[in-house]
Amino acid sequence: MTPIEIGLISVVAIVFLIYAGVYIPIALGIVSMISIWLMRDNFTLSLNLLKIAVGDSAMVYSFATIPLFTFMGLIVSKAGLGRDIYEVMTMRFRRVKGGIGMATVGANAVFAAVTGSSIASASVFTKVSVPQMIAQDYNPRFAVGVVAGSSVLGMIIPPSAMLIIYSFVAEQSVGDMFLAGVVPGIMLAIAYVGAIWFMAKYTPNFVGGRTVADTEWMPKREVASKTLPTLGLITIVLGGIYTGWMTAVEAGATGALVAVVIALVRRSMSLRGFWDALLETGHITAAILFLITAASIYSRMLGLAGLPNQLQDILAGNAASFWTIMILYVLLMLFLGTLLDTASIILIVVPLFLPLVEAMDLSLVWFGIITVVGAEIGLLTPPLGISCFVIKSTLNDDNISLKDVFMGALPFAFVMLIVLFFLIEFPTLSLVLL
Amino acid sequence: MLKSTLSGLSWVANSVAIAANVAGTLTVLALVVLLNVDVIARGVFNAPLKGTYELVQLSVVLIVFLQLADVVRVDRLTRSDGFLNLLHNRRPRLTANLRRIINAVSAIFMGLIAYIMFPEFIKMWGTQDFFGVPGIFTVPWWPIKLVIASGSALASVIFVLKVVSAQDRPQLIRAPEHDDPKASRPKP
Repeated sequence: MTPIEIGLISVVAIVFLIYAGVYIPIALGIVSMISIWLMRDNFTLSLNLLKIAVGDSAMVYSFATIPLFTFMGLIVSKAGLGRDIYEVMTMRFRRVKGGIGMATVGANAVFAAVTGSSIASASVFTKVSVPQMIAQDYNPRFAVGVVAGSSVLGMIIPPSAMLIIYSFVAEQSVGDMFLAGVVPGIMLAIAYVGAIWFMAKYTPNFVGGRTVADTEWMPKREVASKTLPTLGLITIVLGGIYTGWMTAVEAGATGALVAVVIALVRRSMSLRGFWDALLETGHITAAILFLITAASIYSRMLGLAGLPNQLQDILAGNAASFWTIMILYVLLMLFLGTLLDTASIILIVVPLFLPLVEAMDLSLVWFGIITVVGAEIGLLTPPLGISCFVIKSTLNDDNISLKDVFMGALPFAFVMLIVLFFLIEFPTLSLVLL
Repeated sequence: MLKSTLSGLSWVANSVAIAANVAGTLTVLALVVLLNVDVIARGVFNAPLKGTYELVQLSVVLIVFLQLADVVRVDRLTRSDGFLNLLHNRRPRLTANLRRIINAVSAIFMGLIAYIMFPEFIKMWGTQDFFGVPGIFTVPWWPIKLVIASGSALASVIFVLKVVSAQDRPQLIRAPEHDDPKASRPKP
């Protein structure tokens, strides 16, 4: 067998093993090791590559962003900042039909700027937003769909763990990736609000709900106390990175400290809660970084097999147009998104396509945004939509089935796809802040 | 006899994993403190700490490999077990055996990492090599290699214990950290 055949078989084998339930880093690591062994007929070489990959890839300075931003996000969720933003937003949108849905999207967009995880957003907003929407006679499917759809914003609007992972694979700066995520994230939020308005007007049965006539305005001081902590945190983190005063790592650490201070001032942090947040941070970090380590063995294997260059030759040889390649890429991500989580999709797909994108003279930062948005669509689609699972298990209500969550999320997945095509067509949207 | 030996071994391995996890957790805290002290020292006193860069690198390795065994223990290592969960409803025994095979393969892989990293530790212990800038701040290599080797070895042991006990429970999602105690839960 030629190295290319071995490489191709091993990519298929990895996807198969992951579908069968093998731990993703183990599948990546062991298949890559065996295929290097077969390609070079040299077991010691594959062991040495494993040794280098494990030793080196855990030593990257910018990886410290992952524990820091995870910790900040966990503290912020525990401090109830998400709920506060939501309350302020509902007050503004209450009198529009579908208004609470729009408020949920808006609150999610703001909350996303202080947390890097869709799981956090999904669980916080399932608890605060879904019961309220159902109380106002909204269609349960719509209620959970809004939360599922808007939870995706958590991973596109910086700080986002997925942008950090991509920046490692593609060797881009974490700060650049963060800044590039701002406009696409806001755009997606606006598109969601537009879609809700559209659905409320043309498919009122799907949305349901009634508008509330009472205008009970929150006093200004309360509004300030509910929004200023979050806005301050966003200013410190993104402002620090944007002005270049702090690296992404330092911004993460400062953000974590400020989050702890906010939580302490509001007395929403027990020692137990603080320790739990630290513990979870460690678990999440270890899981993600071990995955990245395994993926670095995989990308070394792909390089040895020459697969990315081969892919480039095939597509270039057939004079494939920009859009053919992009549509292929999006379809591949949607397919993998049915069962894989976002991080795994990024780590498996990006090393294959990177040389091609570089050869086409496209921006790697832009490509990262496309990748993250494309891979995130999988969070909303069955059978394995992680956001939908989180909502279902947080909801704890037998009247709403997993199928309802998926059906409700479907329109939002569709909106994401449309936004994705806009982002592909207009790279400036991603690159304007750089 | 065999059974009590096994449960004793599993108690020891799990306790070590939990202890390592606590150490890793404290490293997260140390990382936050270190970077903030550095930012303040640099911004306010114009005197950045020496060796922050190296210490951050070190702490990332510590966090990952001190916590890895515990991540395996609580079954939070990234996987997609939708298929296994479906299969579990129809063929529970087959599924349990599949999980055993998966854990066995994982044990081999982690064991291999430990096997190749341990000689590295011996070598670095002997040479006392370091990284960083000599004269300003340096960190010896051997603790890093030791943590990687022993963390992987511990993860491997825990995988082996999982093969024997076959106690993986299928669950939709494992993310207990996102509980927000103040938010009201809908009453079923």
